[in-house]
This record gives sequence, C-alpha cells and structure tokens, in this order.
Amino acid sequence: MKKLLIAAFLFAGMIPVYAQEQAPKLYTLPSPYDRYTHYQVTARYTAAIPVGSFSSNYIDKTSFENYSIALEWVFQNSFSVGGELGYSFFKKRLPRATYQQSDGSEISAIQTRTLTQYPIQAFVNYNFAPKNAAVQPYVQLSAGASILDYTLYYGILADQQQKIRPTYGIGLGSKFLFKKDGNFGADIRVKYQGTSFDYEYVDKGVSAINGSVGLFYRWW
Amino acid sequence: MLRKASFLIISATIWLTSCSNDPVNDLSDLDSQVFITNRDKSANFKSFKTFSVSDSVTVVQDSRSGTALTSLDKDLLSRIITNMQNLGYTYVAVNKNPDVGLTAARITNTYLNVASNPYSSYWGGYYGGFYGYPGYYTYETSESYWAISMLDLKNADSTAQRLNVIWDAQIRGGGLANPDYIDQMVDSAFGQSTYLSLK
Repeated sequence: MKKLLIAAFLFAGMIPVYAQEQAPKLYTLPSPYDRYTHYQVTARYTAAIPVGSFSSNYIDKTSFENYSIALEWVFQNSFSVGGELGYSFFKKRLPRATYQQSDGSEISAIQTRTLTQYPIQAFVNYNFAPKNAAVQPYVQLSAGASILDYTLYYGILADQQQKIRPTYGIGLGSKFLFKKDGNFGADIRVKYQGTSFDYEYVDKGVSAINGSVGLFYRWW
Repeated sequence: MLRKASFLIISATIWLTSCSNDPVNDLSDLDSQVFITNRDKSANFKSFKTFSVSDSVTVVQDSRSGTALTSLDKDLLSRIITNMQNLGYTYVAVNKNPDVGLTAARITNTYLNVASNPYSSYWGGYYGGFYGYPGYYTYETSESYWAISMLDLKNADSTAQRLNVIWDAQIRGGGLANPDYIDQMVDSAFGQSTYLSLK
C-alpha cells in the first residue's frame, strides 16, 4: 500500500511536467505585431528648410515651429497607410526698406514675411524590415491638401491671403523600437513637401525639406 | 479603436490650431511704423518754389471732421516746414500766393470688417455650415494715422474750382501720438520722396 501511495505521488508529480511539455510554446510564437495588422500613432517635431522659389523669393529661413501627428494602419505585409495632420510656420523679418508698389506709391516699412500651413495628408509607407526589428527603415508617399495662410506684414499692416491647396510629399525614414515586441519607439524622417500656391512673392508653390524626430506608440 | 482614433484626431487639431501667434507683436513703436507716399507723375516739382502750410490740423473721425491745433499738431506742422525748407522750397504766408500748400490730418477710422471663413466654401457649402460654424464673421478695428498732402496752388483748376493733390504721405503704425517721434516720422515721410527736392 505504501508503495502504491509513493507511486501515485510520483505519477501525480509527473502530470504537470507532461502538461507543460504539451502547452503551446508562447515565447516561440511570432509577435502579435507580426501576426496581425495593427495601429500606430506618431507625434513628430520638424525642422523645415525652405527650398526652390519659395526660399529664393519669400522666406529662406529654416523654421523650427513645425509639428505633426500621424495615425497609421500597419498591414501584415510591408505596407502601411495612414493620415497625418501637421502645422508649419515660416517667418522672416527684413530690415526697413522702401518698396515700390504697382500703383506707383512707395512703402517704407519693416517687412515680416510669414506663411502658416496646416497640411492634411494621406500616406503610404513601404517598410523594409520586419515589424519587430530594432531598426525599421521605410519610404513614404503622401498626398492631400493644405490650409495656407500667407500674411505679409508691412510694419503692422498686413496683406493676407488664405487658400486650401493640394500638397504632396515623398519621404525616407526609419523607426527605432525601444524594446523588442514593445509598444513604443522613435521615428526619424526626411521628407520633401510641396504645395501649390501662387500669390504675390510666392509664385511657384511652397516647398520645403522637412527633417523630423518623433515618438510612436503602436497597439493591436 | 474608432473612439480612440477620434479622440486623438480631435486633440491633435486643437493642439495644432492653438499654435497661432501674432508675428509682429515684438515690433517696437518705431519699427511698426509704415510710411506710404505717392505722387502725381505728371507734376513737375522743379517748377515750384514757394510753399505754405495750413494753420491747423484736420481731424477726421469716421464720417465727422473738424480742425485742431494741439502741441502735437504744432510740432508736426513745424517739422513739415523744416523739411520743405531743407528740400529747397521757400516758406511764405498763405496770402503771398504760394506755389504749393501743405495740409495735415489726423484720421481715425473704425471699420466693421466682414471676413470669410476660409474653410466655409469647402465644408459649409455642402453641409450648410460645419456644425453651425458661420461662413462669415465680423470684427471691428480702429486705426489712426497721419496724412500729409501737398496741393498744387500754382496750377489750380479755376473753372472746376479744384486743387490737385500732387504728393501725399500716410504715417501708420504705433506711437503716432508720441511727441518724441514726430520729427523722425515727418523726416521719414519726406526722406523717401527724393523727387521733391529742388536741389
């Protein structure tokens, strides 16, 4: 009887071991980010360098007042799509000068040139690395519209023009996961953005090279 | 998911639109000033030799007008005389038939502005106003400025009893009632009109 009891205990002790061996190997399964489509939100701070005729004719000063937030849907393949809402503010002040106007008058003033832009764009990313790689480079194409506010101040007198105009962009960037399989990471991106606009000094659109750093959070 | 995304988008919109600022609020009074001058292209300023200046300043406030001669006004008129003399003109009394006459005015206009909301044509047009946001909004502004005019008294149109304005200047911006700035303001207005010089 005693031997039977000992055998029973030994057998009972083996059951959990056997059960453990049969359980799914959780830590060898692919990450949920690999298995499912998931979502990602990215907040970016951007330095924008004006280029083209926007730079040569109106504002050539780099802007550090640019922010954006993007919501992204990441597919199981290498693509992701999303939308991005941004804010950009360009400003340049010129020393007092006299400007000849088309009606023959002369205006002596300190000019403050500004351009405010709210781009709203849809984008497609092609990601070169798996979803859980520490470094995930990508290329981006985007298109949408911008709410533009061109305000040129002569002293405190303003010449303002507000329009909604098409915007497009092409960018190259990379995501950096803080932790394997984690929810948080960093994002850097360099992007050319162009917006059609024609008013006074800006006759061939608003173009800029945007360099941004951001933080993202992803969930599924 | 949708609720989370909507919250994010609304928060982002509020955050981004709150970034607007006033780009010229850091200008000093002198830096904010604007001098606008214009002239009659057909006028030959070299043909004028003498000038006179009105004995008071016209005060215009919206649709009302009158005259005044405060110490500020005297400073302004006096500086106009100095500038004209520096340009080579001779100051004479009004009854000595001057070739040109100069007048000055302090003008205050209150405007009721109607501005279109830039988004209305895109959203309001389809939905009859985006959540009740109006397509137009109104705001009131008040602006004061100095105006100086030069009248051609030598070639007055006696038939139509009309005098031609051959040069005018507007001085706008901040600090216009500051007596310390008067000389500099008047000098600037004349200084950018080099064609007035007889020298």
